[in-house]
Amino acid sequence: MNKKKWSALDLTMGGLFVALMTVGANITSIAPFMVVGGVPITLQTFFAILAGLVLGSRLGAFSMFVYMVLGLAGAPIFAQFKGGASIALSPTFGFILSFIILAYVIGKMVEVNRGLPMYITASIIGLVINYVVGTNWMYGAYIWWFGGAPEGFSYQLAWAWMMVPLPKDIILAVLAGIFAHRMERTILSKSQFRMQKAA
Amino acid sequence: MNNAFIVGQYVPGESMIHRLDPRSKMVIIFLFVIVVFLANSVWSYGLLTIFTVLTTLSTRIPLSYIAKGLTPVWLLIVFTFILQLVVTKEGAVLFQIISYPIYSGGVAQGAAISLRFFLLILVTSLLTLTTTPLEITDAIESLLHPLKRIKFPVHELALMMSISLRFIPTLMQETEKISKAQASRGVDFKSGPIKNRIQAIIPLLVPLFVSAFKRAEELAMAMEARGYQGGDGRTKLRELRIEGIDYLAISVFFLIVIGLFLTRV
Repeated sequence: MNKKKWSALDLTMGGLFVALMTVGANITSIAPFMVVGGVPITLQTFFAILAGLVLGSRLGAFSMFVYMVLGLAGAPIFAQFKGGASIALSPTFGFILSFIILAYVIGKMVEVNRGLPMYITASIIGLVINYVVGTNWMYGAYIWWFGGAPEGFSYQLAWAWMMVPLPKDIILAVLAGIFAHRMERTILSKSQFRMQKAA
Repeated sequence: MNNAFIVGQYVPGESMIHRLDPRSKMVIIFLFVIVVFLANSVWSYGLLTIFTVLTTLSTRIPLSYIAKGLTPVWLLIVFTFILQLVVTKEGAVLFQIISYPIYSGGVAQGAAISLRFFLLILVTSLLTLTTTPLEITDAIESLLHPLKRIKFPVHELALMMSISLRFIPTLMQETEKISKAQASRGVDFKSGPIKNRIQAIIPLLVPLFVSAFKRAEELAMAMEARGYQGGDGRTKLRELRIEGIDYLAISVFFLIVIGLFLTRV
């Protein structure tokens, strides 16, 4: 698993992405924007995609894993400043799990090709992973915790529910791809973080 | 808000539960989550409930505080109970609500599932109520130590957790500062069509990322200047120690598990 030892810079970058995820999860409480119809919008998926794009597969996935573990350990870093081991039982925990997988897959994709089309494709695929894992987990959690499928709550309904935030998430995913690609060409390509990789 | 992230849900205290080694707390809770599913009779559920209630009381954390933390969960529990009442059609008909029959099996099933859910949530939140995230970080590093054999980066996990805890408040403040600075330059976060508001993220994110990367580089440089070379041979400021009180807690828990096997049908 640990092919190459992580440098101190790898670790601090990973740690900062965990902090950025926290900012993303609670962005509405800081910058009062994007509260659509009373529902605060989070940028968690956006930052998880960026973690894959910027940090790459191994470090990106590991940093999302740290985000999950730290939240479960009680630090109030999930959406709405939640945290604690009991979150693992909540129906929306699947989304947090999906961040690990999507960061890994996205990282793998852009490690092959660093063109802009690839960045955007990878982001969209990441979003698909986020929705598939999250929705199935949510459905499974309801079945498991509530002892059998209630009549009104079908698999189709779970997906119909998820269609509401989809357009906004697609826009954000594309934006994440473009944003990361720009950053790569400007600040990242000259940064220590990329230099050490080349060396 | 600054300390909130380092402290988390933690409520300081001197109770026995607080003083337990975080590792024994984590192991007991992990096992509890598994054994809860073994309960299948009134007595076995009763035993688990008594254990949970006594443990909760012994933390001496105000019950109102714990209840406040559980607020979103109450709704789920009530919902579960009602759902089971409606769906299950076993046993005798107890009474009718507006010509809808309620079966005794439904009441039993609903009570069992919502009680199980409640116990799980309560016990898992006790861990984070009596232990700071930093203590849990140390405990995780120590408990996962065997995984080093299969090359799982245990030390890196713990270190990254501590680094993030340190940086979360900083980045929060930074984001707030940037958003105010950009608002004073005329960026509108609050109104306008969704498209414009999503575009307004860019002037927030660019400075945030630039400063985050700079911080990461500075911290890495500082770590290297102090001779950081990974986890091997590193010593600790806070040492974890298993003491008599931990053996006591583990023994009590095993008595509960034995009792559980005796009372289940």
